[in-house]
Amino acid sequence: MSKTEGWFARYVDTLQSRGWFKFVSKYIVVPYWIWRAPKPKLPGGPRVSPQPSDNIQRMMNLIMPLKDPSPIGRATAVSVVAQNVDEIFAGLDNVGTVHFARFLLLDDKLCMISAYDGDFSNYIRDFIVTVGSVFDEIMTQIDGGDDLIPTEHNVEKFIEWVHEHDLFQAPDYPTHMFALQDEAIGREPNKPPHMIQSLPRDLILQLHANPNISLGGGYRSYPGFTAAQVRDKFGVGW
Amino acid sequence: MVNIETNIQNTKYRPEDIQGNIVRGYNFKYVRHLILEVSDVKAARRFLAASVSDDSGDVPSITRETSWKKKPESCFNIGFTYEGLKALGLSRKQLASFPKEFVEGMTKRALKIGDFGESAPETWPAPFDQPDRVHIVASVHAKNIKSIDGIQDIVARSFNVIGVRDGRALDKGKIVFGYVDGISQPKLKHVHDPSEDKDDQPINPLGVVLLGYPTRLEGVLFSLPQPEKELGFNGTFNAFRVLSQNAAEFETYLTEAAEDLLKHKDIDHLLPAKEVKLFGKGHTRKSAIREIVAAQMLGRWRNGVPYETSPDTPNPDPEVSLTNFNYGYKSRCPVGAHMRRANPRGGPIVQHVANRTRRIVRRGMVYGPDFDPSKPDNEERGLLGNFIGANLGAQFEAIMYDWLNLGLQHPDITGSNDPILGANSRETSWFDLTLKNGGKIRLRGFPRFITSRGGAYTFLPSIRAVKYLSDLSG
Ligand code: HEM
Repeated sequence: MSKTEGWFARYVDTLQSRGWFKFVSKYIVVPYWIWRAPKPKLPGGPRVSPQPSDNIQRMMNLIMPLKDPSPIGRATAVSVVAQNVDEIFAGLDNVGTVHFARFLLLDDKLCMISAYDGDFSNYIRDFIVTVGSVFDEIMTQIDGGDDLIPTEHNVEKFIEWVHEHDLFQAPDYPTHMFALQDEAIGREPNKPPHMIQSLPRDLILQLHANPNISLGGGYRSYPGFTAAQVRDKFGVGW
Repeated sequence: MVNIETNIQNTKYRPEDIQGNIVRGYNFKYVRHLILEVSDVKAARRFLAASVSDDSGDVPSITRETSWKKKPESCFNIGFTYEGLKALGLSRKQLASFPKEFVEGMTKRALKIGDFGESAPETWPAPFDQPDRVHIVASVHAKNIKSIDGIQDIVARSFNVIGVRDGRALDKGKIVFGYVDGISQPKLKHVHDPSEDKDDQPINPLGVVLLGYPTRLEGVLFSLPQPEKELGFNGTFNAFRVLSQNAAEFETYLTEAAEDLLKHKDIDHLLPAKEVKLFGKGHTRKSAIREIVAAQMLGRWRNGVPYETSPDTPNPDPEVSLTNFNYGYKSRCPVGAHMRRANPRGGPIVQHVANRTRRIVRRGMVYGPDFDPSKPDNEERGLLGNFIGANLGAQFEAIMYDWLNLGLQHPDITGSNDPILGANSRETSWFDLTLKNGGKIRLRGFPRFITSRGGAYTFLPSIRAVKYLSDLSG
């Protein structure tokens, strides 16, 4: 490690500020470094925490590549979602742990954004149990989706697939990223401690592995309550 | 387009292909769990081959589910960790067909199942401090220790025994903390267990506990380790847990709570003075309140009587069923009680689809010396627990993460942990006692009573699968 922390490392650390060099760095230096010290893709979704309040109102940013990104394919995807609105409401009601969910069509991707309480796997599994058919139909529009149909018979695989396509949630404090990067390669976090100067470099490399990320896990304007607590408080049943 | 390679279903229930102690319990006095490392893969395979052959020589035969005419002196069963299957030579592709929780192993799932702080795997004693070497948990149940020693000697010829954990059954099915355990188990289709005859909870499909059958989640089939017929069918998964129970702290807390409650303005709604006599001879109001706290925290009185159907006394007359009751909006059994958290039955829960779906089989024995409440000591003692189900994620972990800890299933308990088992701390813990008038009293300040001291996720293969493993080469 010590050798690679030498002049080249220091040099890469200053890349972002060297405007005239951006071209060269983009095509030579960064690719070289990616080859030299690749970062594994960091897992999607919120991280498990011993703190109860961290385990409620969690964000899912599911980014699904469309099988057919042409206007026709995009329109089909939109209509599949539209045709299933009733089932989606029924699903939300029976799963009980979801605050909201919405779909976005962004270029060649269909995105499902939601806030849910508790464990991610339980959330997805319960959704399949209630409205598996909705996911089956959506998956017909998604690149790689056919392998997951019927979702009811591929529960584990589907949960993993969603997890992989859920955006990595970058920690609010950028230095916490070091620990996650260590963990991803099976090392003890922050041992030895990382040099703060290497953060920009590590971020560039990470953004290569995870091109799309969520900046933080979402911000709340009030302390975390579950969907059921809110419904209970307002007397709308849970 | 549809994925058809997987999920051929088992059509026939064949007890001779299933390991014992899964769908029905043994009820032996002693158990020893042998923690094994595969040090010589050929010797290990030879042992496994013998253990399922008709003529096993001196190698113990794996005990099957088949009913016995005469109870044997001992029973032998075996579970493999992911590392163990790897050591035995399963291919990378086959290993990848196992579910993620199992592949990662118990120590990597620590945060999810409450193993942090004093329970963190980094604090576990040997052999659990080296999870990579924990390959097999072989369990010997027996009438006496001597036959266990004999079997251990034979096992040690083929495996490296890196640790053992001894357990035993206490009188009347009691466990540390003094509760009767082993009452509620999921009833299963095709399985006749006379101890469950009077349990009127709905019958579960075999897929709750065995791989390859319909599950309790409508339409859902769990995926099977591949090749499914040879390896997956009739197997299941187990969370083996060494759970240390701090009996002295538990009893002390009951006393503290009772003393505080005696001064509480609503104490007459918890226990009117004139009802102390319902607790039987020798009870004071304080000692009776201690029992109420213990009963509400668990959901049963320590003698096993359900709190739901007998909220005023541990000695109902006429007697009440130990298994037949349900929870509702007006239940006296607190929503936060251990048993109600672990199985909310038909009671109201947030996850409407999840009622009765996260059932697990529990097979546990006590470890450590007896505890005498009049002479409290701090020796380590607790439960050697097996928490068995066809899908660790959908059953064991789902219960641990959302229900026992966090309390997601009911808005009244969200943010609190199981009072008995949860990852509590004195600063933040709380638990609501229910009162006769519908009110509540909130208890606070209890510590974590139960900590993890080891364990492993194991795969309990079918008999055919043990044969398959023994035939691996390379
Ligand atoms: C040392 C730790 C534990 C102690 C002392 C303990 C104690 C008890 C007792 C006394 C009962 C009532 C007896 C019965 O109904 O059979 C019970 C029930 C139960 N426990 Fe635990 N338990 C422990 C750990 C766990 C764990 C780790 C889980 C789950 C993942 C769990 C899940 C259950 C379930 C499912 C029931 C049956 C509830 C029902 O079906 O109504 N327990 N426990």
